[in-house]
Amino acid sequence: MSAAETAKSVLRRLTAASATERILISFAALVLAVVVGAVIILVSGRVTTCQTAATTLFGTGFCYDPVEVYLVLFNGALGEPFLVNSPGILKPLNPDWNPLNFGFALTLKETTLLIFTGLSVAVSFRAGLFNIGTQGQLVLGGLATALFSFFVAPLLPSGLVGGLILIPLAVIVGALVGGLYGAIPGALKAYADANEVITTIMLNFIAAQIAFVLVSEFFGNPDSQVVETTPLPDWATLLPVAFPQGGDFSLLALAFGLALVVAVWFLLEQTSFGYDLRTSGEQPEAAEYGGVDAKHTTVTSMFLSGALGGMGGAIWVLMVMGKWQAGVPSLGFDGITVSILAGNNPFGVVPAALLFGTLKSGSLAVQFGTGVPKQLVGVLRGLIILFVAMPEFFRMLGSAIDLEPDRETVATDGGRLGGDDE
Amino acid sequence: MSTAVHLDEITKRFPGVVANDDVDLTVERGTVHALLGENGAGKTTLMNILYGLYEPTEGTVHVDGKPRDFDSPADAIDAGIGMIHQHFMLVDPMTVAENIVLGNEPRKWFGTTVDRERARQEVIDLSNRYGFDVNPDDAIEDVSVGVQQRVEILKALYRGADILILDEPTAVLTPQEVEELFRVFEELTAQGKTIIFISHKLGEAMHAADDITVLRNGKNVGTVKADETSNEELAELMVGREVLLEPKAEPQEPGDEVLSVQRLSATDNRGVPAVSDVSFDIREGEVFGIAGVDGNGQSQLVEAITGLRTPTEGSISYKGRDITDASRRSRIDDGMAYVPEDRHERGLVMDFDLVQNGILGSQHSPPFAAAGRIHWSDAREHTERIIDEYDVRPPHADADAESFSGGNQQKFIVGREFERDPDFVVATHPTRGVDIGAMEFIHERLLDLRAEGKAILLISSKLDEVQGLSDRLGVMHDGELMDIVDPRNTTEEEIGLLMAGERPDADATDAEPPVGDAK
Repeated sequence: MSAAETAKSVLRRLTAASATERILISFAALVLAVVVGAVIILVSGRVTTCQTAATTLFGTGFCYDPVEVYLVLFNGALGEPFLVNSPGILKPLNPDWNPLNFGFALTLKETTLLIFTGLSVAVSFRAGLFNIGTQGQLVLGGLATALFSFFVAPLLPSGLVGGLILIPLAVIVGALVGGLYGAIPGALKAYADANEVITTIMLNFIAAQIAFVLVSEFFGNPDSQVVETTPLPDWATLLPVAFPQGGDFSLLALAFGLALVVAVWFLLEQTSFGYDLRTSGEQPEAAEYGGVDAKHTTVTSMFLSGALGGMGGAIWVLMVMGKWQAGVPSLGFDGITVSILAGNNPFGVVPAALLFGTLKSGSLAVQFGTGVPKQLVGVLRGLIILFVAMPEFFRMLGSAIDLEPDRETVATDGGRLGGDDE
Repeated sequence: MSTAVHLDEITKRFPGVVANDDVDLTVERGTVHALLGENGAGKTTLMNILYGLYEPTEGTVHVDGKPRDFDSPADAIDAGIGMIHQHFMLVDPMTVAENIVLGNEPRKWFGTTVDRERARQEVIDLSNRYGFDVNPDDAIEDVSVGVQQRVEILKALYRGADILILDEPTAVLTPQEVEELFRVFEELTAQGKTIIFISHKLGEAMHAADDITVLRNGKNVGTVKADETSNEELAELMVGREVLLEPKAEPQEPGDEVLSVQRLSATDNRGVPAVSDVSFDIREGEVFGIAGVDGNGQSQLVEAITGLRTPTEGSISYKGRDITDASRRSRIDDGMAYVPEDRHERGLVMDFDLVQNGILGSQHSPPFAAAGRIHWSDAREHTERIIDEYDVRPPHADADAESFSGGNQQKFIVGREFERDPDFVVATHPTRGVDIGAMEFIHERLLDLRAEGKAILLISSKLDEVQGLSDRLGVMHDGELMDIVDPRNTTEEEIGLLMAGERPDADATDAEPPVGDAK
């Protein structure tokens, strides 16, 4: 078998993998990434100099202990439910551990935000549209939420009642603006045949600049040196009620995100529109044959995707910042990886976002709790994401290209069946 | 007479499938041997083994009495075997001569340069020797499909082939070109060449072959002499039971007009005119057939009617309303069913299971959807009914469309469209790739729909199919509707001439000099 054939057969196998197999593959990839990461930690621990070796293997001292690093990574993401003793020995349970702790809140904060952006990307990918513009949709959606809340808040009674009215409205405004901004590349694709990958990337820059100019020139906080809007009153934001140590995480937002997961699943799998969307994504010619209005579906799918991104922005403003601030984190781009990791399945987005959240908050713990530099922590994170995402990425690739070994495509007719003499 | 090829107990297994099961095949030198069988019977696999593309799992290939073990087609070519595939492997912009010598060019100047003059001369000599009518200087893109096929044959001969394998050689030819091909067979065998051709058409095997081997489910179910057998016997061998071969539509009085196409023109995807000025109408309880070689505008015509292509000129009215610009969806909702030409691209979503595919086109309509929500239980019931009635195998509603064989995919699409309770059915190659048994069933269902008063547009490149089923038959050539004939009173030769673009001069028929005098 030639190399190309081997590659094809591997792709074919990946494409045909069942859900259980895919979960197993992801888990195996995670383990493998940890193993490879451990080697990297050891090697970099050998080339650095330190006072005391963190661990000693085969009589050689290493500055960093991989076991400790990974324990701190995952342990820290949960707020240290286990006590870690150097050199990397796990004690049963930390008696002082409280699930409602800061580290765990940090994990869940990232998870929540990535659920929104992951869903946004998943919806567009399922429709066959490569929306790279979730970031821009998030930036503008967030800004719209911040400005709307800022201008409407004075008109409402402060406190719980005001929050109950204002927050849902603010999220809707964010969704609308994100959606409309997503619909632009959708319309460009549908009516002008402009490649959405290019347009969404360009629109990301435009969104960032528009937001920057709007805030710095017109709607900025006059009392601040930074480009940001005036902070919203607490009652107009989502507070970390259940987490006394803070951490900018609101259970309400997570619940809303999980409800959206179910809603997106329902839309995709149980409705006629979802059928149209998925058919367009799988096979545009078949969708056209089945009476799907391709232009309409493209614009609507992009609107939906943008709306989810916009809601991500709204939650970022309401839950994390309490205002809009320039330099929005790359949640939208991470959403692409989350969605690929999830196989573009709305339910898959939750564990994928959780993995991301864990790594993000865990790496903070590693940075502070061990001597490992933050660049190395970044490498470890990247490794895990790369390893776990690649099988899914190749699955997408595999279903995008024709892998059939010897599909008989040729019509075998054209002559006569019965007697044809005389 | 010596044996040219002997396949000894060949078995070929692919993961999960036995493509060839203990097949013996003996081909005598200087004969034409037809390998007959339904799609998926293992004909092409067997020939790919002989040609060195596959290695047999078990068994031996003997060529000229010697056991051979081919690692690649290059070995088979060295052993004097040439294969002409269904898809021609020719370079379009290059000339006939260049294509024939490609890869084995005569060289000059110590092998640094192709000796074009000698190449040309060798090609001329070769085609004269076998009486081929080809011009070595024509570009491939300018010659007809029939000529391209002859170029492929010459290419194999140029490489020294004594044994020629042709995979479904008649699939792309007009009846006249088929006759021409069979004459070439005679010429080649007269000069000692051996020909094996793959077919699933009884008629042409009977007509052109000396011996016929029938494969069924990967097994050799019998080798017979063509002059000692009958169509009925062969059909029974192929299917394993008795088959009604010729569809016959009993005359029936048609009702009101359902579809009317007026002076319709359309272009293909590249913007090249593909349909020009076509007009016809179809009435209730009538089958209107369109015959023609593939690629003469039938696809574009059908797409314009079904709403997948915007015509450049002309109009289409359906049930008395102008639908020239109506959306595809509105046409579906208005009772238009369509068995598309391309089942992989259009007819099925390959990564969807059959339940999801069962509602393609009905995803917004009751009973499968209401208020924007799909009723999957109804969809499943519907799909299972189609699978059952149209004998889709294996009967797995949850399996992806991709996992089914071409014939079963086709049966499923036909079932879905016929069971839509349509008023008008557009059936493009409805029996393409299905076996004779299923073909018989689809023909029956089509005639049932006609009896129920539905209007039917039937497009097929199988002449006997359109001729047997249609009440009126239009023949297309180069985008034009050459003529509309009564299929019951027109011979196949007359239709074949129309397909080839020759418009018979009605008045001249009597005045024409006897054919014998022409030479």
